[in-house]
Amino acid sequence: MNKNLLKIYETDASQLKGKALDVVIPKTILEVRNIVAKSRRIVPRGGGTGLAGGCVPQNGVDLVLDLSKLDIIGSYDKERRTIEVGAGVILDELQAYLMLYRLEFPVKPASHAIATIGGMIATDAVGSRAVKYGKTSNWVKWVEIVDGYGNLHRKGVTELSDYSGMEGITGVIVKACLKLAPIRKRSASLVKVENFDEVVAIVHKLKRDSSVSMVELLGKQVSEMLGLFEPDESGEVKSAYHLIIEYEDDSGMLNGKEYAELFEMRDKIGPMLSGGGYSRLEDPKILLDKSDKLVSWFEEHGIPFFGHIGVGIFHPRFDHDQEKYIPEMIKLVKKLNGQISGEHGIGILKRKFVEINDQKILRNVKKRTDPENKFNVGKVI
Amino acid sequence: MILLNVLRVIMVKNKITEAGRPADSRQVAGAKIEADNLMEEASEVFDSCIKCGMCKSLCPVFKVLKEEQVSPRGKAIILSDKIMDKILFECTFCKGCERNCPLDIKICDGVKKAREAMVLRGKGLKSNEEMMENIRKYGTPFGKGDKKDLEKLYCC
Ligand SMILES: Cc1cc2nc3c(=O)[nH]c(=O)nc-3n(C[C@H](O)[C@H](O)[C@H](O)COP(=O)(O)OP(=O)(O)OC[C@H]3O[C@@H](n4cnc5c(N)ncnc54)[C@H](O)[C@@H]3O)c2cc1C
Ligand code: SF4
Ligand code: SF4
Repeated sequence: MNKNLLKIYETDASQLKGKALDVVIPKTILEVRNIVAKSRRIVPRGGGTGLAGGCVPQNGVDLVLDLSKLDIIGSYDKERRTIEVGAGVILDELQAYLMLYRLEFPVKPASHAIATIGGMIATDAVGSRAVKYGKTSNWVKWVEIVDGYGNLHRKGVTELSDYSGMEGITGVIVKACLKLAPIRKRSASLVKVENFDEVVAIVHKLKRDSSVSMVELLGKQVSEMLGLFEPDESGEVKSAYHLIIEYEDDSGMLNGKEYAELFEMRDKIGPMLSGGGYSRLEDPKILLDKSDKLVSWFEEHGIPFFGHIGVGIFHPRFDHDQEKYIPEMIKLVKKLNGQISGEHGIGILKRKFVEINDQKILRNVKKRTDPENKFNVGKVI
Repeated sequence: MILLNVLRVIMVKNKITEAGRPADSRQVAGAKIEADNLMEEASEVFDSCIKCGMCKSLCPVFKVLKEEQVSPRGKAIILSDKIMDKILFECTFCKGCERNCPLDIKICDGVKKAREAMVLRGKGLKSNEEMMENIRKYGTPFGKGDKKDLEKLYCC
């Protein structure tokens, strides 16, 4: 590819910049196998929506393998309610197709309009409906992967963890068989809550309600930025948290157009904060009962946040001056027995924060699956 | 006839001669300055772009080709670096990208300015120049063609 255009593949939604040897965009699995067999260093790339720099090539030696053209939506198995798809299929394109059968892939990251199935499996994407449907890997029956020698393997549920959530360091996912769920009638409510203890109590209650498919939190700063503060009867404007609650029945206040508008707004929060200078995003995961300490820490430091509170994932956003607080936040998360990344992965950004024991485990998997050390070198571990 | 006049106006505005290229050296220098300014303006359009990729989702060109370089984010990345490349002509100006950009970036404005700059620098598409030449000579974008074919052409 010409050098000017190479730049496009040397970055992703993390905005980190790297250097690529070249870019290839194979159309078939056979092409992927030949390219992998012949190349020394490979960086698999899907939609390039990753937020940890996972598909950013390094040092001019990495070949970017863009899998976007493996976009065939294959056979639908009515009995098993599964579908086979190429790794490059974009989630919303799959959802549009599945409408025919009144089915859907129920995991929904906010990047659903652009993220690929391969990228979602590689990062084990979570998303806003995790409280009901969990992670991407819960909905994968098998994956087909290409190893460092160019061989094709099918890996079932027992071996899936060698590839899902491994951020492309163990092999290239080329195809997957996905489990599907029926499309539900959905409604939503936007609820204002004044203090965080109350937020925790409401979320606990909602998690026991089987009709609830999503509980999202907007911190006070984010609520204000979205213009959600309205004066009360006395005319006073009080800051408050907001919860977005999605129900799989008619319990919510918002339906149809209003429901769609609410989620359009929700999907744009991250990019909007980025555009406002809060460009560094983190994704710690923590037990709900311990989250008050983290939230107080965000508020003390003036860090806007939102997140999938139903599953304990928070998205604090740091501006340039606040980035220096990130190691302190990670220390706090570890002290509270939380995880440093709940959904976006480690990539390049969080590599230095991975615990030694976790590094050992990841290294063993890497050695076993990619003895040639070809895939995503310098990422995760 | 209307179409011809419109084209003439565009060409005069772009300081392009009948051959589709700037004429003398003074004009060449002027065109270069104007092109540089346009590229500067095009790159400024993307100052606040965060490379999130949301603009890709409604882009018909990306949908068909599935190549990041023709996507609006691809165009944003090269224009941020003031790079002229013919991929900038792979855009229908449908504004699908702008509808989905969370930061309301006027992507089409940037691409349009860059295209103007490319034409000024003689880096426009050959096929576009041929088309204009055909219109000038034969009154249709397709060239000489069969007389019967010409009768089938309608102008909006
Ligand atoms: C606006 C926005 C909102 C987001 N919201 C969410 C959210 O709600 N939940 C969430 O979990 N994430 C979210 N993300 C992050 C991102 O969208 C997800 O991580 C997504 O799953 C990445 O998919 P992708 O196709 O873009 O992968 P890429 O960004 O291209 O790649 C991500 C990683 O996976 C690897 N990879 C990609 N494809 C393959 C493959 N076929 N085989 C092997 N490895 C591969 C890459 O090497 C890289 O390490 C968001 C991102 C943005 C920009
Ligand atoms: S949607 Fe807007 S901010 Fe995001 S990459 Fe496209 S132009 Fe940039
Ligand atoms: S205006 Fe151009 S870049 Fe934007 S969506 Fe339409 S074709 Fe794509």
